[in-house]
Amino acid sequence: MTSHESSKFIGRSMARREDRYLLRGQGQYVDDIAEPAGTLHLAFVMSPHAHARIVSIDTSEALRVPGVVAVLTGEDFASLVAPIRADIEMPTYKHTDRDVLAREKVRFVGEQVAVVLAENKYAAQDAIELVYVDYDILPAVVALEDARRPDAPLVHDHIDNNIIFQGEFSTPDFAEKHAGSKFVIREKIRHGRLAGVPMEPRGCLAVPDRGDSLVFYTATQIPHIVRTGLATHLGLEESCIRVVVPEVGGGFGTKAQLYPEELIAAALCMKHRRPIKWVQDRREELLTNIHARDHLYDLEIGFDANGIVTSLKLEFATNAGAYSSYPFGATLETTGGARMIIGPYKIQNYAYKNYCLTTHTGPAGVYRGVAQPSCFLAIEALMDRIGRKLGIDPLEVRLRNVVTPSDMPWTNVLGVRYDTGDYPACLKRAREVSGYDNFRRAQRADRLETGKYRGIGISNMTEITGTGAPGWRVRGLRSVSGVDSATLRIDPTGKVTVYVSHASAGQGHLTTFAQIAADYLGARIEDVRVIEGDTGSTPFGTGTFASRSAVTGGGAVICAAQKVGDKIRRIAADMLQADAQDISLCEGKAVVAHDPGRFASFQDVAEIAYSIGNGVLPEGEEFGLEASEFYDPPVVTVANAVHIVEVAVDARDGRVSIENYCIVHDCGRVINPMIVDGQIHGGVAQGIGEVLMEEMVYDENGQLVNASLLDYLLPTAMDVPNLQIHHMESPTIDTTGGFKGVGEGGVIGAVPAVANAIADALSGIGANVNSVPLRPAHLLSLIRNAVREEGRAAIEESAY
Amino acid sequence: MDSTEVMDVELTVNGKRYKRRVEPRLLLADYLRHEIGLKGTHIGCAHGVCGACTVQINGESARSCLHFAVDVQGCEIRTVEDMATPEALHPIQQAFHECHALQCGFCTPGILMTAEEFLRTNPDPSEEEIRTALSNNLCRCTGYVNIVKAISVAATRLQQHKN
Amino acid sequence: MKPAKFEYHAPRSIEEAVALLDKYGEDARVLAGGQSLTPLLNFRILQPRALISINHCPELAYLEQCENELVCGALIRQAEAERSAMVRQHCPLLAAALPWVGGISNRNRGTVCGSLAHADPLAELTAVAVALDADFVIANKEGQRQVKAEAFFVSDLTTCVEPGEMLKEVRFPRSQNGERAAFVEVGNRWHGFAVVGVAAQFKFSDDGLCETARLAAIGVGSTPIRLSGAEEILVGTNAEGEVLREAGHMASQSVDPPGGFHADAAYRAQVLGTLVERAVEKALGKHPEHRRN
Repeated sequence: MTSHESSKFIGRSMARREDRYLLRGQGQYVDDIAEPAGTLHLAFVMSPHAHARIVSIDTSEALRVPGVVAVLTGEDFASLVAPIRADIEMPTYKHTDRDVLAREKVRFVGEQVAVVLAENKYAAQDAIELVYVDYDILPAVVALEDARRPDAPLVHDHIDNNIIFQGEFSTPDFAEKHAGSKFVIREKIRHGRLAGVPMEPRGCLAVPDRGDSLVFYTATQIPHIVRTGLATHLGLEESCIRVVVPEVGGGFGTKAQLYPEELIAAALCMKHRRPIKWVQDRREELLTNIHARDHLYDLEIGFDANGIVTSLKLEFATNAGAYSSYPFGATLETTGGARMIIGPYKIQNYAYKNYCLTTHTGPAGVYRGVAQPSCFLAIEALMDRIGRKLGIDPLEVRLRNVVTPSDMPWTNVLGVRYDTGDYPACLKRAREVSGYDNFRRAQRADRLETGKYRGIGISNMTEITGTGAPGWRVRGLRSVSGVDSATLRIDPTGKVTVYVSHASAGQGHLTTFAQIAADYLGARIEDVRVIEGDTGSTPFGTGTFASRSAVTGGGAVICAAQKVGDKIRRIAADMLQADAQDISLCEGKAVVAHDPGRFASFQDVAEIAYSIGNGVLPEGEEFGLEASEFYDPPVVTVANAVHIVEVAVDARDGRVSIENYCIVHDCGRVINPMIVDGQIHGGVAQGIGEVLMEEMVYDENGQLVNASLLDYLLPTAMDVPNLQIHHMESPTIDTTGGFKGVGEGGVIGAVPAVANAIADALSGIGANVNSVPLRPAHLLSLIRNAVREEGRAAIEESAY
Repeated sequence: MDSTEVMDVELTVNGKRYKRRVEPRLLLADYLRHEIGLKGTHIGCAHGVCGACTVQINGESARSCLHFAVDVQGCEIRTVEDMATPEALHPIQQAFHECHALQCGFCTPGILMTAEEFLRTNPDPSEEEIRTALSNNLCRCTGYVNIVKAISVAATRLQQHKN
Repeated sequence: MKPAKFEYHAPRSIEEAVALLDKYGEDARVLAGGQSLTPLLNFRILQPRALISINHCPELAYLEQCENELVCGALIRQAEAERSAMVRQHCPLLAAALPWVGGISNRNRGTVCGSLAHADPLAELTAVAVALDADFVIANKEGQRQVKAEAFFVSDLTTCVEPGEMLKEVRFPRSQNGERAAFVEVGNRWHGFAVVGVAAQFKFSDDGLCETARLAAIGVGSTPIRLSGAEEILVGTNAEGEVLREAGHMASQSVDPPGGFHADAAYRAQVLGTLVERAVEKALGKHPEHRRN
């Protein structure tokens, strides 16, 4: 089939195949895998200091704990594992080398300095308490704002001013154009540090296999990158490594890095030829899994009397933490925020300077949205300010500035191509379904009603999805391939197996890729099985992150299905004495058009292809019934959405309730609407957490103050309301299948919308909202400082 | 029973009796997962906040990461593995499946155990009551929207089944 | 996180329990519901040499009404107390506070006495005990001793229970006819730990004047704080309008709260005043009961 023909499965909300075992508690996550006899468990000694020299490590007492086999330090790994270095090609970029266990120096609280191998996990934890490390504490630089100070301690000696890299860009004659803008608003937007916090902590199990090979089970989103990473850092051949991804309990990007513990476990397994297992606890998860979004936007936006943006100037700084993580390095957030901020708007004059800074804090990495939630927080905040300044409705301001369908495909001043999408229609639909106009009409100037400040917030966002090779090269990422692939194989009994290069962590790939394969092959969906996450059987790919699997995996599955489909037609044509172009494939049969009585089942065709029975392969044809296809989407494809949210901020305790939430979302051709909605729900929940309650807090000494779920607050069922989601479909013209990604759209849209709603709610009293998170204490202090005596009385009266 | 060393701990789990020699500090969650191989119960935080480890002790939901196996001897323990039969899912599980109330599945067993107790004691809940009942279980994937819906659907079906 | 090794004891009587506590002194901890203690053990913040589990002492599972008191033994689970008609009738403030304590999975196992003995400064039941001036009966090898709530709570996670002793029961004064109670709290999300909470109980005469007022707060000190200044303002008034605002204002002024990243001192003080007003209104049934008060 082609995308013009009607789909049987694509577009249907098919219930997931994954559910039947997950619901029964039969999902096998890394900690559930049966431990082979002789498995040793790892536990890590972590640095309690943000910056210190390691003077000595005494492991003698730890070694005496019953069940402990060895206690190793950085020196023991110097010859086993090369330091981790992200391979980034970008002007001014300075690499960091990270020893898998710190040698000489520690650079963040939680950095591992020693590892215990023991026969069971309890003994391993007993032993880590008995490893005595003598530190020479050094001064630390912690806050983003302090990293570039002349007296700031250096995190890495070779990285001057703690600047990992810096960049800049400017459209022609920017200074002049900016100076010529009629109005200018200046604002600083500060986004607090976040953690991804999947419910399943990370872990791995390294098992020696035949000969000198290794089976490496790991909770990862990037199996092939892990395989290559293990090979290059351990000096092994990739052919002796098989990375197997078990069930993964959520990733959100936190599991799209290669971490030191994985290298250590694999190295020890290879060295001792014994199974090595490691699973982190929640405290380690919060301390050592990648953080994100510690961002500062320093902005100036120029506009005219009609609210049209005439210039945008940005200075953008990100806190990358102590090391540049692998493979994305520290640059993705820094480049992403600066490049995506233009969003759906036709901003022709733009200049940025961006800085990626290192501090003595946890390494940052890619967490759902990767700077898009924060840069849209920034630009959408500015759009609202333009509206407030000029007295123009903020939705109208956006309508006046967006790229329109007649402009498409549109290439913005950074060279980012926007392929399809109807941004005005999306805004108008959202306005309609949310009752926006009614809300505005009824809204009071002071926004105060029944003891609460009520506001409505809009976000109008575009999301870069389906990034292939060119997209990663532009960002300087050498070791992120960008291609993905699928092998589609029909076995002798006519059943279909699709091996995809992705690795799901809850997105339902076993269902959605089956829908695509079944449609493009004309198979019965119950005859299609999807296999992922095993480098021993799945073909090479980049992995599942950055909202790319529908595009890159979907594209590869389609190409493979088309190839196999063509071969089925050729063989069937020969069997049925018809023309190949008169053969259509459906329900697992190759049928002669207009003569449904003449058909061959996939099994019949497969038997020919595998030389089973008496059939003969047509002349010129080769044996086998499979195809492996790589797919690299030509450019990124841009999804978009509008979120409109109503909030009520309690005037006396600062708490926020979300009263109404509408989304109009366009992710191109939808494969499984139920799964798409689920991705949006989850993303929105994370966005609500991001705006209202989540923040990783380091004190001035670099201690992570809230390394537990008691203190790092995640939203619960009482914090996320029902969400009204409406879909638009602007299929992409650029990629096979017409799909766009959706994985991150929910959080990218939610963060600006919820923040803007709160800002709108408090705009009546002149409070300025320019940071997240917005905890009740902060909102109440804004209210307290803005409201004078008369205002206080009004608050109390309005509560009745 | 005066020792840090291993001792016999007998538990009744899903109606079956087990006896294992374990340390007193072995968490109930670890006894279930590693001593008797019931791995549906997951450990998300080990400090009683996330709820992924929720099981039922004497019919009441409880956090298995906050109990020592030795201390709950004599109690009836129930885990997620007891909900379905080989032929069919429990109505709550079936509703979760139809409503897409799970994604990665890691928090799901804990939520099912919580939901089962909740619906048994609150057979006709409002949406607000469902959200309140769920508020002590964390899910990072679904945003709870479909979980709330699934529990509502399950409540209706369980009521119909009774009548 | 796995706990450190400990010796486990499961005494069958309080005498046996106390004897063991005496033997181990400060090296032992009592294990009841474990909802507060076990996280600390799992994090290895606490590493007692011995755990004395009272979960197998059925004699401690009593909930009784005496002449003037509701007596709650050490093994009464929070969920049991929550469901109890006796508690609803005779100690409505306890009944009002219990639904705020953790979630049902915690309350099924956590005990009323355990939460009090743990003395987390944000534990709702500690405010109840201080508001009601409850009596704490502490058992030791000599027998038992009794202290009032204010003396029981010494500081953050610290009570007057000495090594070798355990909290055996708590005696709440039985509410009188016409007494109304309420518990209100705010946190940084709709379910979770309190940032500030207020326990309130009032008696109003038939002509609508406040005869007695009891108010205590969590989250504004290292122990629950009795808001006697606010109480004095309310007594003899109709507890609404201007006088209610004054009482709230007095409460805000009377505390010196700690800071912290969840909320700063200024927030805690300000919101305390708001919560005092809301507690009164809720006790008087002025605004419908709603979890998101």
